[in-house]
Amino acid sequence: MTLAAWGLVLGVFSGRPELVVTAVPLLFGLLRRVEANAPRDWRVARSLSVDRALEGDRVVVTVTVSAGTSVPLVELFEPLPPSLRVVSGSNRGFFTLVRGQDVQWKYEVECRRRGRVSLGTLHARLWDRAGLHVAGTSVQAPGHLRVYPRPLPLRRLPRPRRTQASVGNYVSSSLGEGLEPGDIREFVPGDRIRHVNWRASLRFRRLFVTQYHKERNADVVLMLDTLAEAGAPPATTLDASIQAAASLAGAYLARKDRVGLIEYGGPFRWVRPGSGRAQHERLLEALLRADVVFSYVRGNVALVPRRVLPPQALVIAISPLLDAHFEKAVVDLAARGFDLVILSPSPIPLVQDATRPSRSVDLACRLWALDRQARSAALHRLGLTVLDWDPRESLEAALAGFTRSRRRSVAG
Amino acid sequence: MLRLPPAIFVVVLVGYPLLIASTTAVLTTAAAAMVLCALGIVARSTPVVVAGGVLALGEYTLALWLSPGPPRLAGAVLFGVALILLLETVDFARRVGHAAMGPGLVSSQIRYWGTFAALAGTAALVVIAVATAASAVVRLPWSPAFAAGGAVAALVAVAVTLRRAPG
Repeated sequence: MTLAAWGLVLGVFSGRPELVVTAVPLLFGLLRRVEANAPRDWRVARSLSVDRALEGDRVVVTVTVSAGTSVPLVELFEPLPPSLRVVSGSNRGFFTLVRGQDVQWKYEVECRRRGRVSLGTLHARLWDRAGLHVAGTSVQAPGHLRVYPRPLPLRRLPRPRRTQASVGNYVSSSLGEGLEPGDIREFVPGDRIRHVNWRASLRFRRLFVTQYHKERNADVVLMLDTLAEAGAPPATTLDASIQAAASLAGAYLARKDRVGLIEYGGPFRWVRPGSGRAQHERLLEALLRADVVFSYVRGNVALVPRRVLPPQALVIAISPLLDAHFEKAVVDLAARGFDLVILSPSPIPLVQDATRPSRSVDLACRLWALDRQARSAALHRLGLTVLDWDPRESLEAALAGFTRSRRRSVAG
Repeated sequence: MLRLPPAIFVVVLVGYPLLIASTTAVLTTAAAAMVLCALGIVARSTPVVVAGGVLALGEYTLALWLSPGPPRLAGAVLFGVALILLLETVDFARRVGHAAMGPGLVSSQIRYWGTFAALAGTAALVVIAVATAASAVVRLPWSPAFAAGGAVAALVAVAVTLRRAPG
């Protein structure tokens, strides 16, 4: 319009017909009036290459568009949640469709943060060819993706002090069927011949048998602090805690232990200890929905049922120790005789990463580190073990500091 | 790929007036128009390209003013068609920028532009024919008023059409 008017004005004032003629195609272009309504038989389908992924995995999103009538120019846009990032292709596409044609559009996303991701609404804009008119609509195409925390490699785990009755991988102090040789004693009728210790029998001229330690499993309860978090998503203390919890759960379950979870937020949520693949699924699902939700409610750990928090269980409290309520709860548990270890993902490096470096930030972080050391020392004086973990480094290195030998102190 | 067609139209728009009158003034205006158009194409900005088009029209006017002679109507049609195609291609590039493009999208759009260019050129020729016939009827003192009235009527018609457009 501007150029047409400019051309006409120049033509009138210069008296040159060429300029008026120049304006004619521009005016002709403006006079096009194309109806661009959304087609009635509009169909959009979406499929994901996987419906379950780990953090950092890539997922291919395929959108199939088909229209019963010809569509000159359609623009599709799929808004993505912050936990997904486009790594290849684009989540916005332009297509031209002839009657009955199906068009596939693919792009690849990276899963940045654990959680349940819903891809719901696709926004569509129908343009005319000249781009002078547009009609907008939105299409519902449900798609769900579960992004689980990526497990960290763990070979060494905190050993529980007490074991349970079921068969597992821990050498119990009690004697019975097992692989680990224990004491020897004199043969009594009923003993199996293959347990006879021939070397001792020859030496003492009497039959002796070797006794073996039982191999038992243990109950492990992961207590996750969801009272507060620090850092910027997707690298908050809660993200690190959940990743650690998922890794520990997987590692203990692989050792035939029973693993449970207590989410210590406002009101408690928990998963009873159990073993096997189904329990692993239950724990991961619980970890997916774990989040910091502000609440005035503060649960009392004494009210947690015994079946959820068995007295013999090893409790691994995973907390950045930002909220004093959680510290109080772990001290309470330790006072009640629970075997307790605190794994504390340090919020300091995560906050440092999320803020612009400056002298004041550096000073604040140093003071914060001193405060954390003082609090760890106070907990240590109460008999608690605090494992400080820098989430930028490996979890295994943090757990390696936990060198308590419990090998012979287990009570079957 | 989407930057090539507008670049070709810019060359046509800036180069054609230089063929008419290649003076320093025209050359300077051409350079300014080219810079603006190039910026608009790179930035996928229609307003910047419109500014470049305004300068290109100014350059064309200057060239016509510096070289009086019989009207070059075929060149004017070509200039007008190139101008509107420049705007359309830049606007299309802006809309599809950073988006995935479906199969056959660009080729169908190019076909559309070809058809539109033919129709626009034909419309311009029809207008030339009508104007030639009208010039035989309208006497000389009334010609400028007649032309101005026609221009205003055309602009008002376009404005009314756009106002009544759906959406």
